Amino acid sequence: MRHDLVSNMSGGAGITRSGLAPPLLDVQGLGVRYSANGPQILKDVSFSVSGGDFCAVIGPSGAGKSTLIRCINRLVEPIEGSITLFGQDVRKLQGTGLRHMRRRIGMIFQEFNLVNRMSVMDNVLSGRLGYIGPFRSFFKAFPKADVDHALYLLERVGLQDHIAKRADALSGGQRQRVGIARALMQRPELLLLDEPTSALDPKISRDVMGLIRELADELHVPVLCNIHDVELALETCNRIIGMQDGYKKFDGPTAGMRKQDLDEIYSMEVL
Amino acid sequence: MTSAPTVSEDSGFAAWKEDARKRRTKNWILLGATILVLLWCIHDTIMFDTDWERMGVLGVGTAIGRFFDIDWSLLPRLVVPAIETLMIATLGTILGCLFSLPVAWLGAANVTPSKLIAYPIGRFLMVLSRSIHEIIWALLFVGAVGLGALPGILAVAMRSVGFISKITAEAIENIDSKPVEAIRAVGGNQFQVMYYGIVPQILPVIIGTIIFEWDINIRRSAVMGLVGAGGLGLLFFRQMAMFNYGGVTLVVLTVLLLVALGEVVSHFARKAVI
Repeated sequence: MRHDLVSNMSGGAGITRSGLAPPLLDVQGLGVRYSANGPQILKDVSFSVSGGDFCAVIGPSGAGKSTLIRCINRLVEPIEGSITLFGQDVRKLQGTGLRHMRRRIGMIFQEFNLVNRMSVMDNVLSGRLGYIGPFRSFFKAFPKADVDHALYLLERVGLQDHIAKRADALSGGQRQRVGIARALMQRPELLLLDEPTSALDPKISRDVMGLIRELADELHVPVLCNIHDVELALETCNRIIGMQDGYKKFDGPTAGMRKQDLDEIYSMEVL
Repeated sequence: MTSAPTVSEDSGFAAWKEDARKRRTKNWILLGATILVLLWCIHDTIMFDTDWERMGVLGVGTAIGRFFDIDWSLLPRLVVPAIETLMIATLGTILGCLFSLPVAWLGAANVTPSKLIAYPIGRFLMVLSRSIHEIIWALLFVGAVGLGALPGILAVAMRSVGFISKITAEAIENIDSKPVEAIRAVGGNQFQVMYYGIVPQILPVIIGTIIFEWDINIRRSAVMGLVGAGGLGLLFFRQMAMFNYGGVTLVVLTVLLLVALGEVVSHFARKAVI
């Protein structure tokens, strides 16, 4: 019965995909374990993301959500399966090739991952590092176009009055806005969000997710977002991937999700 | 009603008593051995090695008294060596910092290019720098590049590497890895990851350490001249050779003044940084 449900759901996911065009991101049979004898964190996970997706990855703690997100830009090395992004095999990339792939992917982190002792502006500009040479990096001399874009983004995220402040002088919500601006500074073609709101209070979480949604829609950037707040996921995202114990348990549009699907994903917690 | 408590045979009391007796015996033997070794040291060094003929309140008193007759005429000739001493300390510290960069990189467990080869090399260089005294370094460099301030600068630099690189390596090992992950995720290369992710985090510690090391290096460069490597030490050596004890005192006072100056400057500089 469980098998039926899963296969029905993955069939349903096809509806959101844009017809004949190949998906932007295609993951097949992904497997991860952190050490040779360690537990397998991801088991045979397959899914794809295309143009208009704002896709949430939900599931209980330890389900492998964060690992899944980190595999896409190879912050975590998978042991098996394939990841095809922008038509390239991500797992085959090395050195410069990998860096060039990473700079097309924006990432927003749970704990913001800002450099605390650097100014808000420098943190945002560091999103451009993949594109600038050694001299400019050394003197922190970013091209004027980048500085202008950073100013624009800071205004868009509502931080125009905090440009010169140090990152650790801001509140949690403001810091995550810096993180958003830094990711968008890359002019990304895909956004990866790793628990972007779990260090924030519920009200700020909604503001931040709303802002990301608004900017992603405006810039036509697909989003893959790992999030544990199910309500917030259902409110913000148009597609849900449910993970449990390293397996994909659900994949479909938010609208088609039923109460029993949720119970299925979180069944481990009931036990 | 108090009576001697009765102790059963198997309570272990007897064993405890036997243990305590053994411990006492062991302590007496240790104490005796320590006293014997101490006596042996005193006999061979102080008793045997001292020229007791010249000892006497008068002899020692006049010898020390000679140092209090300060030779102020030396003052104008002190200025240039004093400035040179400061310069040796400053240039030596800067050069030491430059040498420390690669050593810290090799010897920091989380960024080292190879844990098997580079890491032990880095750690070895740190120990090497500190285990050789600055005078020995100076002698080596006087032999290599001749007399003057240059061997002093090199000696101070080499001696500084150990401390600066060790503190730097430890600071690198203690950084928060999250910003580093973020710089990797935007597609930054190895240099950018270090420059944007690591350096801002370790900078206050490093600058504090460098100022502290500069302070110590003033002391070190003051003695460099004893082996011909420039600075006040050379003047000290000359006054000693001429038996001009008043001049020696003046040089020592100048060193004291410089060190105090360094202490004050480094105190305020470190406050400004941290």
